[in-house]
Parts: sequence; C-alpha cells; structure tokens
Amino acid sequence: MENLREKIEKLLLRVKSPSRYIGGELNSVVKDKSKVDVRFAFCFPDSYDVGMSHIGMKILYSLKNARENWWCERVFAPWTDFEELMRENDIPLYGLESLDPIREFDFIGFTVQYELCYTNILNMLDLAGLKVLASERSDSDPIVIAGGPCVCNPEPLCDFIDLFVIGEGEEVNIELMELYEQMKKSGEYSKKDFLLRAAGIEGIYVPSLYNVSCLEDGRINKVTPVCEGVPERVTKRIIADLDKVFYPESFVVPFSEIVHDRAVVEVLRGCIRGCRFCQAGFIYRPFREKSSGTIINEAKSLCESTGYEELSLSSLSTSDHSDIEEMLTEMTEYTEGNRINLALPSMRMDRFNKNLMEQLSKVRKSGLTFAPEAGTQRLRDVINKNITEEEIMSACKTAFEGGYAGVKLYFMMGLPTETDEDIIGIADLAKRIADLYFNIPNRPRGQKLSISISCATFVPKPFTPFQFEPQISIDEINRRQKLLLDSTKGKRYINVSYHNYRISVLEAALAKGDRRLGAVIKRAWERGCKFDGWDEMYRYDEWMNAFADTGTDIDFYAHRPMDFDETAPWEHLDYMIDKSFFVRENKKAKEGKTTKCCRERCCGCGVNKAAGRECFG
Amino acid sequence: MDKKNIRVFFEKKDRAIYMSHLDLLRTMQRALKRSGLPVWYSEGFNPRIYLNFPLALSLGVEGEREPMDMAVVEDVSLAEIAEKLDSACPEGIRIISAEYPVHPNKDIGFAEYRSFFSGEPSAIKAALDSFCDLPSINVMKHSKKKGMIEVDIKPHINILSVSEADMGITLEYRLPAGNELNLNSAVVTDAFLKYCGEVGINVELSCTKRTKILCSDGADFA
Repeated sequence: MENLREKIEKLLLRVKSPSRYIGGELNSVVKDKSKVDVRFAFCFPDSYDVGMSHIGMKILYSLKNARENWWCERVFAPWTDFEELMRENDIPLYGLESLDPIREFDFIGFTVQYELCYTNILNMLDLAGLKVLASERSDSDPIVIAGGPCVCNPEPLCDFIDLFVIGEGEEVNIELMELYEQMKKSGEYSKKDFLLRAAGIEGIYVPSLYNVSCLEDGRINKVTPVCEGVPERVTKRIIADLDKVFYPESFVVPFSEIVHDRAVVEVLRGCIRGCRFCQAGFIYRPFREKSSGTIINEAKSLCESTGYEELSLSSLSTSDHSDIEEMLTEMTEYTEGNRINLALPSMRMDRFNKNLMEQLSKVRKSGLTFAPEAGTQRLRDVINKNITEEEIMSACKTAFEGGYAGVKLYFMMGLPTETDEDIIGIADLAKRIADLYFNIPNRPRGQKLSISISCATFVPKPFTPFQFEPQISIDEINRRQKLLLDSTKGKRYINVSYHNYRISVLEAALAKGDRRLGAVIKRAWERGCKFDGWDEMYRYDEWMNAFADTGTDIDFYAHRPMDFDETAPWEHLDYMIDKSFFVRENKKAKEGKTTKCCRERCCGCGVNKAAGRECFG
Repeated sequence: MDKKNIRVFFEKKDRAIYMSHLDLLRTMQRALKRSGLPVWYSEGFNPRIYLNFPLALSLGVEGEREPMDMAVVEDVSLAEIAEKLDSACPEGIRIISAEYPVHPNKDIGFAEYRSFFSGEPSAIKAALDSFCDLPSINVMKHSKKKGMIEVDIKPHINILSVSEADMGITLEYRLPAGNELNLNSAVVTDAFLKYCGEVGINVELSCTKRTKILCSDGADFA
C-alpha cells in the first residue's frame, strides 16, 4: 500500500526520533509478499528503543525469516506523539519491513517481558484496528499469540490472547507456523480448529479451552480442559543443545539510539544460583551453556555484520560459565584487536577478581555494578543470595585498587522477614565500603568516591519460593524508604535512588493475578493507561479507579499471603520445577538456611527429571 | 604510513532523510567498521573512528552531494574507499566519490537548496512574489547569549529560480552556511508556509533537497 507509506512520511517530521517509524534499517528483511505464505507481526509492547534491545526478538525474527515463504516483521508501540497522529490520520499499526497494516497478517505475536506492558498490548491491538477481546475477533482476523517470561502466569491476559507459547520459542514457533501453513494449504483452516490442534503441540496453551472454577472466598479451585485432546497441564518447551540451536548471524541495526545498542551473544540459559526472589532463576532452568567456540564464532559474525563497537555477553549470570576465564582471554584478543568494547553484565561479586576486571578494562572503562540485594548477612541468607560480606568487600577492594572510584549497588526492599536492622544494614554496608576505600593507600587520586544505592521494591513472583509471600503495604515501604534515607544522611558520597513503589504494587498484582484481572487491564486501558513501566506515563490513580470500577480488590492479589496448598492461578502450567521444592525453599528461607548452588550440590528442584537430562557433565 | 585525510561525498535520500545528524554519525561509524577499511581512530580516552561532517544536514532534508571527512592509515585507493564504504551503507545512503579534501571547513559560505511546494501553482507563485516583496521577513531565533530574538532573514535569502509544475512549484535558493552565519532551510520554508497561511493560500512542503555546498568565494566546496 503505497498510500500508507506516503501518509506515514507526511507525519514523520512532526514526531520525536522519526527514523523509528519507517523501517529501512540495515539487515532488516524485506521479501516479495506475493511469494510469502505466512506473515508474522512480531510485536514488542513497548517503545522501539526498548524493544530493539531485546535479544529474544532478534533470535525469533531471524529464525522465522530463514524460511523463504515466511515473513516476520517488527512492530513496536509508537510513542504517544506518533500514536496521536496515527489515530488522527487513520494510520493502522503496521510492520516496519513492508509498512503493511498488521491486521492483514496471519499471526500477531507479542513478547511479554514485564507485567507493566499489558496495557500496551491492548493499545497495539486497537491501533491495528482489531478488537482487544479474543472472543470478539473473527475467523479472518490474525491469530494473536504471546510468549516470554510473563506468560508463566498468562491468566491476566487470557481475555486478549488466542494462545500462549510456554517456555523457549525456537522450536515451538516453527511447529505452530507449520501447522498453520499446512491447514491453510489444505483448506482445513478455521481459527477454532487451528486452536484445537495447536493445543496438542507441547508448550502451547490455548486459554479458551480451559475452565477456571473458584472457591467461595475467591481463590482458585481448579483449572480444567473443556474437551478431550487438550492437555490438563501444559509443559514448557526447552532447547536441548545451545550449540545447535539457531542464533542470528546479524541484527537489524537501528539508526536512532536504543537502550542496549550493541551486539549481544547469549552465553548460557538457566541459573545455578537459586536466589529465592528471582523468577528468571527458576523458569529458565535447566542450566545449559554454549561452548566457548560457539560463543566466539557468534560474536565475530555479529560484530562483522553489524559494525557494532560494543559486544555484550548476556545471560542471567555470565560469570557462572564454566569456561569463563579462558573464553574471555580468547574473546578479548578478538575484541581488542578490532577495537570493540566488551560489556559483561550480570557478574557475581564472588566471581569478581583482578583477572576479570583487567579483561573488562582493556578497551574502555565503564561503571561497575554489583547486586548484594540485602544489607545484612541474615537477610542475604534468607533470600539465598549466597554472597558473604567478605566477598562484597573483596570485590570492592579489587575495583578500587584497579582504579575505580565508584560502585553501584542494587538492593531490594520489602523482602520476606525484613526488619529495620536490615534496612539500616544497607547504609552500614555502604559506609564500610567507604571506609575500605579511604584505607586503600593506592586508591585512585583526583576522583571522588561515589557509592550509588539503587533500591527496588520486592515483588513476589510465580514459580519462585517467595510466590506465597505478600508484598508489604505502601505505608510500610514509605516508612522503610525514609529510614534508609535517614541512615545515610550526612554521607555525601552515598546516593540513594528508589523504584516507584506505586508501580511495584501493580506489578505484584498482575504477576500473581488470575483471569479476573483481564477486566481490570481492559478498564485501565480504556481510562488511558499505557506505557505503565515509564515513571512519567504511569497513572496510579487511573489503575486504582480501574480496580474500583470492576469491583476488584488489589490487596487480594498483591498483599495476601498464599497457603502452600492453595491452587495458584498458574498451576496448570508446568515449568518443570516441583511445587514441593518451592515450599521446601520457602521454609528454609524462614529459618535463614541457605541452599548450595546447583554445581556444588543438586537442590532437587525436579528439572532434571522433568527434562530427562543431567544438568552438568 | 601517516594518516591521510579523505573527503567522501554521499547522497542522503528516501527513508534516510529521517535520520538525525547523530543517527547519521552512528550509522556512518558502523558502516566504516563493516567496510573493513583501514580507518583512523581518534586518540584519547575513548578512541572512536574519526568522522566529521563539514556541514550538518537537517533531519528531513535530502542531500545530493554531502561531504564527510575521515582518514585512513594505510595505502588505499580513493576508488576502493568509495566502493567499500558504499557497499556497507544502508538504504538511502550512496557514496558518490572519495576525494582528497581541497578546502578547509571554514571556507564554507553558502548552500543551495531546492524545495517543492505542492498546491495550486499560480496561487503559490503569487504568494511567493508577495512574500519576497515584504519589507522584512522576521523570524524568532534562539541565540546562545540573548535567548529568543527576532531576526530579519530577508537579506540572506537569494532566490535562484522558480518553476511551476503540475502540482506545485519548485523553488531554488541560496542561503548563507558555515560558521559565520548559518541559515537553516527549514527557517525559510516555515516562514513562507506561515505567510501562506496568513494570506489564505493552501500549500504544503513536499520535500527539500540540499543541492550544493559552496565556498565564500562561490567555488564548489571540494
């Protein structure tokens, strides 16, 4: 539609960063649509700058486009200035590769990375010219699917999405699209039949094929399939061998600056640590590594095809790669020789040493960030962080002696069993780190010490040992935030920042929510909520109105403890971790007992049995 | 070999016009990296591929022959530089040639533009004539020292040609450019559109292209 492109171009000079809205970036895939059988709109329900930084999208985009007769395009949420113009000028949401309206596509797929993008999903469907409710969309409308970490509890989104992809997407996406292509070609396709057959694919959850019954007090009784051939429990998909799985040789290179503007190689999946608050640490199990050779080859091909001057090695805990030091030695040989800056996010303090630091500083020195998560050893044991005060001090000492004059420290507030002592402990820890700095004879001169404390609010998440825990009340979090500020008073080198608690409380409700929250999300969107993860866009009052309008109690979801034997809204989804393990871990947490990391001793979470594989060796 | 300065001339059009100046800088840095050319890196704390645009091009404006300065550290022919860089560039950016710079940047004095205004040709033409007959054309301009100030841009607009087409008119004009005095084409086109609005003429700016960059003495910047 030549027409749509012209309409778009006429408006571009009136919006911020227009190159985000017109495609044509290097390495974007353009096909002849007359030769394409299945069209997929890969939607990231946030702005271009955020979505383009996401590695999962890059993987699935290239994977789908590797099929000659499939075409996958990128779609992002337009920022409000452009959305307004789109609506005024009847421009429907379109794919960046073809600039065709996505309502003409076969699939619309959302990757759901965080709860605070739910309203954006509705807004994007609406901008596409589709009904937001799955039940109101017709047979000829695209199939709307969703995947990503948040769909481990997809229940709040069930009203809007036709099917969910549970677990890792590389294989199941292909199977799903193959089924569709085959049904279309043989003339057997109807949306209803497709969904029924898709429900038979491992890892596909079709919410309309399940009934949810509740107890009188509002808790879930049980979730049951409505007909035969639909599995009672949907088990997540995992990729067996990371050295054999598809990984893109090139990324689309944006014109405008994005959040993580660099080449990224995924080095491992899963995590051996078992921090009790961390959802990613459990839902991505089992632990699997890519071999050093694969990592280095992928890095080289990406850097060469994109021209990026920064490379990041990404995972939940990169320093846990069994071959990290040798791999980094070889990697820095390449990156240094080609003047590429190597970024290593997600390094653990107990694995940080002089050697690692020197590798990092070779090309360019960026800031150092560590995550002790809690201020006292007692609380670090409760959350199973498995980091000691000595390890924190030693990591900071190494950094200071190596020329760094500042560290950024991540903490959480409102963790289970937390007391005032733990809050004051955060300030005390920062002060001890400062003392350490001032006592180092060869500390960097001419630079001012800076210790940044960044405090998030604890959000209990499904598929963690803390899923049973309530979030603390808004008044209590305010009191604790003030206590921390008072405790750091007069120390000018300490700088404290917080996440917006009013956002965290919504995150908690949505994370642990059930199907009844669909009505709340829809109401909030109707009241104008979108980009809820953006501080300046978040409208707490409108969300509270949406809860009130629909007669829904936010406390029931965010602030209520769950019994161990309560049926959670997500229990018909199997993420390969035994619930009894989460109960056991929760009890150990309350006793302040730690669990060893998986490499030292198997914690018995059940993933090895479920996946039919040994985690190591 | 010591570093050798190179001036590349490129075309920027189609979707590439929506790249801002900073977008273009990033894009060219990456294109140079992909090209594999032996480029010179700036020295200092954060070494970067050296790049310099003698005259920034505004977002939304096409460029017919835009200069970009870089340097190489090995012997490589001008043709090879142009060819390798061109094949590494994204859609909308084409390398026309690589040359050895003749003029220093400070020699830049003017730039020429071609704008197409769509609407009823005779009406736009008439509006343009009366616009040019105004005693002064005052616009608000941001000044570093004085904040927003009003300036008369009329003395700086040099109309080269006006031609009527089916759907509108093509206007070619020359404006001062460079360090001394730089007048953005959008300031002129906006002033004209605003004037058309005031006199009730329906007109839209379809596109603007920078066609030439000139030295103060009138020679082509090379």
